Amino acid sequence: MNYSDLLVQGLVEGCIYALIAVGLTLVYGLLRILHIAHAGIFTLGAYVGLLLTNETGSFAAAFVITIVAVGFFGMAFYRLFYEPILNKPPHVALIASIGLFVAMEEIYRLIFGATSISFLAPPLKDTVEVAGVRLEEGRIVVVILAVVLIGGLALLAGRTRIGIAWRATVSDAAMAESFGIDLARVRYINFFVASALAAAAGIMVALLLNQVIPTMGGVPAYKALAIIVLGGLGNVKGTLIAALALGVIESFGTIYLDRVLDRDAIAFAFLIVVLMIRPQGLFARR
Amino acid sequence: MYEISLLTVMSFSVIFALSLNLITGFCGQISLGHAAFYGIGAYTAALFTTDGGSFWLALPLAMAVAGFFGFIVGFASLRVRHDFLAITTMGVGFLFTGFVRQQEFLGGEEGIAGIPDPGIGQIPYMLLCAAFAAAVIAFSLYVKRSWMGQAFDAIATDEDTARTLGVDVARYKLTAFVFGTALAGLAGALFAHYVKFVEVESFDFIESISVLAMVIVGGIGSVWGVVVAAAFLSVLPLLLQVFADYKLLIYGVLLFAVMYFAPGGIDSLMRMLWRRISGRRTAE
Amino acid sequence: MDALLSISGVSVRFGGVDALADVGFEVAKGALLGLIGPNGAGKTTMLRAVTGMVRPQTGSIVLDGAEISRLPTHRRVRLGLGLSQQIVRPFAGMTAVENVALAAGYAKTADPLKALATASRQAERDRARTLLDLVGVADAADALPAELPLGYLKRVEVARALALDPKVLLLDEPLAGLNTSEAARLADTVVDLNRQGTTVVLIEHNLSEVMRVCRQLVVLDNGRKIGDGDPAEVMADPAVRDAYLGAASEAPGEARDAAA
Repeated sequence: MNYSDLLVQGLVEGCIYALIAVGLTLVYGLLRILHIAHAGIFTLGAYVGLLLTNETGSFAAAFVITIVAVGFFGMAFYRLFYEPILNKPPHVALIASIGLFVAMEEIYRLIFGATSISFLAPPLKDTVEVAGVRLEEGRIVVVILAVVLIGGLALLAGRTRIGIAWRATVSDAAMAESFGIDLARVRYINFFVASALAAAAGIMVALLLNQVIPTMGGVPAYKALAIIVLGGLGNVKGTLIAALALGVIESFGTIYLDRVLDRDAIAFAFLIVVLMIRPQGLFARR
Repeated sequence: MYEISLLTVMSFSVIFALSLNLITGFCGQISLGHAAFYGIGAYTAALFTTDGGSFWLALPLAMAVAGFFGFIVGFASLRVRHDFLAITTMGVGFLFTGFVRQQEFLGGEEGIAGIPDPGIGQIPYMLLCAAFAAAVIAFSLYVKRSWMGQAFDAIATDEDTARTLGVDVARYKLTAFVFGTALAGLAGALFAHYVKFVEVESFDFIESISVLAMVIVGGIGSVWGVVVAAAFLSVLPLLLQVFADYKLLIYGVLLFAVMYFAPGGIDSLMRMLWRRISGRRTAE
Repeated sequence: MDALLSISGVSVRFGGVDALADVGFEVAKGALLGLIGPNGAGKTTMLRAVTGMVRPQTGSIVLDGAEISRLPTHRRVRLGLGLSQQIVRPFAGMTAVENVALAAGYAKTADPLKALATASRQAERDRARTLLDLVGVADAADALPAELPLGYLKRVEVARALALDPKVLLLDEPLAGLNTSEAARLADTVVDLNRQGTTVVLIEHNLSEVMRVCRQLVVLDNGRKIGDGDPAEVMADPAVRDAYLGAASEAPGEARDAAA
C-alpha cells in the first residue's frame, strides 16, 4: 500500500469514528454522562439496518427507516434509564451505562444468536477510482454521510431555534431554563440525534464488513470514548479532528506499529500519551 | 472435589475484588482496566514457573511486577480525574490486551499453556488461596481503620480539601494503586496456577467490568459487602448453568440495577435491613 | 517588625482579568490582620494564592523564613498554614468530630506508610472535641455534616483549621451564616487564640466585628491594595471609604448584609 491509500483508508475510518463519537460528545456536553451504552445503540443500528435491507431489498430505504427508528429508541432509552439518575453522583450514570451496554450485547446474542449475520446481496460493493485510489462505493458513502449528516447538524445548530436552544443548554443549563428553554425537549432531541448518528455508523460498518455480530460495538465504541476525551469532552470540533486524526494514525500505525501493538490498542496508546501531556484533552472546552 | 474448586475460585476472586476496592472504593479512583493487573500477575507467574521458577517465588514476583505497572498507571490518576481517569484506565486495559496479543514470548493469541502445578495438592492449594483471601480481608479491614484509610476517605470525598489538611494526595493515590495492583497481581498468579493456562481473553475489558461489578454490587468501599458479592458472583456461574449462560447479562443488569436502585450495594441494603430490625426491637 | 508571613508582588490573572495585581503585605508574628474589600476585590484569591490552590503568575510568599510560593498545598499547610474556606467543604461521610480529628492527625497522615502503621485515634478525637467545644459546637460532635446548619458547619471548618496547629490561621468569612451572638462569640474565640500566640488573617464582611477585633487592616479593591495599617486610620482614608463603602453604608455593620 502506498501513502495515499493509507491516508484515504484512514480518513474513511475516521469518518466512521466521527459519526459514533459526535453523538457521544453531544451527550457528554449536555448531560455530563459518559454514555458507554452508545455502543449498544450503534450495534442495534447495524442489526436493524441489515435485517431491514435483507427484508425489503432496498438499502436506502432500510437506512433511513433505521436511523429514524433508532433515534426514537435513543430518546426512549434516555427517558427510561438516564433521566431518573441525572442528579446522582457522576459515577452512578457511568457505571449504570456500562451495565446497560453489557446487558444490550447479551440481549442481541440471545435474540440474533452469537454468530454473524450478513447481507443477502451486499450493496455498494463495486470499486471506483477516486484521485488515483481505488475505493469501494460503500467507503465513499461513509464519507458523504459523515459530511452531510455532521455538516447538516452544524448548520442546524447555528441557524435554527432548537439548535440555538441546544447550544445555550450546553453552555449553561440553568441559565437556558430561565430563558424559557425546555430542557427535557433539548435532551430528547440530543439523544435522538446522537442515536441516529450511531445507527448510521452501525449500518455502514455492517456494510463494509458485511457482517453483524453482538459484540461489534465494543471496539469502535471504546475508541469513540478515547476520541471524545482527546477532543476535549463535549467539544464537537475537537471530536471531529480527533476522529479523523485517529483514523489516519491507525491506518499508518498498522504498518509501523504492528509488531508492538495491535491496531485497536493504538487509539489508547495515543490517548494516554496525549492525556499525560495535556490532561484536558487536545482541545479543551475552555 | 467440586467444593474445593469452588472455594479456590472464590478465594482469588475475593482477593481480586478487594484489590480493586482498595483503589476505587477506599481511595475513590475509578478503574475500568483492573483486569490488566490481574493479567500482569498471571502472565508474570506463568512465565516464571513454566521457565522452571519456583511457585513460591512467583507469587511475590507477580505482585512486584503488577505493583510496578500499577505505580506507573497511578501517575495517570495524578494527571486526570473522574471521567478522564475512567477512560484512561479503560485504555490501559486495552493497551495490555493489545500488547500481549502481539507478543510471541507471551504466547500471543494462543496464550501460555502447561503452567506447572504448584505441587502441593488440591486441598492445600485451596487452603493456601483461602488463607491469602483471609489475609487480604484482614488487611482491608485494617487499612480502613488506620490513618491511611482516613486519608483515603478524605481523598475519595474531596481531594482539594484533603490537600488543605496537609494530605499528600499524590503519594496516597500512588500507594493505593501500588497496593491494589500488587494484590491483583497476587490474585492473577493464584488464578494462573489454578487453571494452568493463561490467555489474553481472561483479562479483557469484560473481566475488568466483572470485577467492577463485584465491587459495585458489594458496595463501593465496603469490605464485607465486596467479599460477599465476589464470593457469590464468582461461584454462581459454576453452580448454576443458567447463571453461566447468562453471566454477562446478569452482570450488566446488576450493575445498572444497583446504580439505579441502591448505589450503596449490598452493604447499604444490609445496613438498612439492620436498622429496620433493630428499630423494631427498640420500638417493642 | 518580625514578619511571619510576607507576601510581595503577587499577581494572579484569570483569562484576561487581573484578580490580583502586584499585591504585597506583611503579617507580623502575633498579628490579627483583617483582609477586607468589596466583593470581587481578590481577598479569597489572595488566600488561595497563599495556600497554593491558585498559582500566582508572579510574586513571592514567605512563611516563617521559607519561600513557599512554589510548594504544593499540602507542603505549605505542613509548614504552618491552616485554612478555613468561605464555602464550607466538610467530608460528607465523616462526623464533625472525625472531620476535625483527621486534621488533628496531621502528624500521622504525613506519610502513607506511617499512616498505615497506626490506627489509634483516641488522642485526635479528644483534641477534636476540645476544639469543637472551643468554637461552640461541642453538641454537634457526632453529627454528620448533612445534619448540621451552616452556622455549625462554619465553625466545624474553623475547628478543622485549628486542629492543624497552624502558625498562621487563614479564615475566609468564618462569621458568615452565624447570628450576632454566635458571631461575637466566635470572634472572641479568634481573639483568644490570637492572644495565645496564633497569627490570624481574617477575611470578613462583618465590619463591626472586624473593627472590634483586628489590629491591622489590609484593604483590597479590584485586585489592588488600597490600604494597609491601623484599622481606624485605614478606614478614615477617603480612598478606602470611597472604594469599599461607596454609597452602601456609613455604618460599618450594615455593609455585611449588602455583601452577603
